[in-house]
Amino acid sequence: MRHPRDDTRHHFDEALDAILRGTVELGALVHENLHRTTEALLENELDLARQALEADDEIDARYVALEHRVFEVMARQQPVAGDLRFLVAMTRVLYEIERSGDLAVNAAKGLIRREGYVLPADIHSLLARMSREAAQLFREGLDALADLDGAASPRIEAADDVVDDLVGDLYTAIAQSSGELGFDIAVELSRVGRYMERIADHAVNIAEHVTFIVTGSFPEDGTVASKDED
Amino acid sequence: MTGTGPRPETRRFEVAESAAPAPATEPLFTLEDLSVSYGGFLAVGGVSMDIRPNEITAFIGPSGCGKTTLLRCLNRMNDLIESARVEGSVRYHGVDLYGPRIDPVEVRRRIGMVFQKANPFPKTIYENIAFGPRVAGYRGDLDDLVEESLTRAALWDEVKGKLDEFAPALSGGQQQRLCIARAIATSPDVVLMDEPCSALDPIATLKIEELMMQLKEDYTIVIVTHNMQQAARVSDRTAFFTVDVKDEGARTGRLVEFDDTGVIFTSPREQSTEDYITGRFG
Repeated sequence: MRHPRDDTRHHFDEALDAILRGTVELGALVHENLHRTTEALLENELDLARQALEADDEIDARYVALEHRVFEVMARQQPVAGDLRFLVAMTRVLYEIERSGDLAVNAAKGLIRREGYVLPADIHSLLARMSREAAQLFREGLDALADLDGAASPRIEAADDVVDDLVGDLYTAIAQSSGELGFDIAVELSRVGRYMERIADHAVNIAEHVTFIVTGSFPEDGTVASKDED
Repeated sequence: MTGTGPRPETRRFEVAESAAPAPATEPLFTLEDLSVSYGGFLAVGGVSMDIRPNEITAFIGPSGCGKTTLLRCLNRMNDLIESARVEGSVRYHGVDLYGPRIDPVEVRRRIGMVFQKANPFPKTIYENIAFGPRVAGYRGDLDDLVEESLTRAALWDEVKGKLDEFAPALSGGQQQRLCIARAIATSPDVVLMDEPCSALDPIATLKIEELMMQLKEDYTIVIVTHNMQQAARVSDRTAFFTVDVKDEGARTGRLVEFDDTGVIFTSPREQSTEDYITGRFG
């Protein structure tokens, strides 16, 4: 998709570059908010959780603006081939990023709703590792996007298994401590596990969309990126 | 809420509809290593491809790539240029079109042509259609033939009340449809079109594109177009040609890529195809 610089579609190329940059920046904001939420959970910091909610407003506004921009460029520039794949994929990548942002905020909302919670050591440790891995995976998805690295997705998909395993461990730990935690907190923490798992899935999807942009095929069976809400 | 968005099933992004295997069809034309020179200069070289019946095949590419030259090989119009020389072969229904016993006039009856600038005869609308068949000894009802041809060319309703009017008085789009009617009046197999819409406004263009989509049920169409969006809209398969410029400035066309139109416009194999269709002419 990347073309040698020439004059014939300079404005179009600039528009495409701006869309890519804007989307990567949006992802960075979500990544930052993910850190914010994680810290809020681990340190029981309600103020930080509220900041995460506020930061999400900016994320949503930028998401809407970028979606509009992609749509406008498609309407006006009659894109085909690599350009079309890029623009169509970006609408999906934007969705994956925006959803990840919502999931991070959901975790923060849970903390606020419960007015904080104190975590047993083992759960605290699992949550920390799980969140770190999910955030790292999300970062890698964004890097694949920024570099339009079509070969990144198998690596990212493999790393997703690590997150899935940690989420499984978390559920086990929650089940074992549920008496100590109380039902409401146990449920809330399970949801956090689910959000992190989903964020990692979105990272995998982003990498698969990049593969599609570069090669014209999805890594698996040629249809929509594999990880879906179930 | 006005307008219809895509249904959820169709939002799933299929890589290309041509991922499904194409039905096996005997090609109508088979070109093998076809080259055309004018006065010793190679205009287009080494083209091998097949054209399938009841499809619209589009030839696209920059000026000088030989797409019109190639089109004109398909009905031996290049015979009319004295310096033209054709090498390689063009088979039509398996028969060598340039064989010694082939009548070029009969070739052009079966393989008709429509040109960029509509060229109705300076006669009435009726006579534009009737003239050719009458001269060729048509024994059927000419009135019926005229009506059927104009109907098939989606022009009957507009001209049925004025068949004895002077054809060149029609609008550009109507003239072009008249030329299409004239071409199909001789019951051809194939209609070749050389940039048929480039002189027409967008509405006339879209009407002719719609007409092409209907006509392909009964005819095979090969269209040369410099309008890539048109090729994308109407054609089943698209052939992309490029032009190689030699040191002395000699320009020779060649076929770069030929595939289902969906594939060409979503994931072409060749970088030069991608560069051309995305408008990155470097």
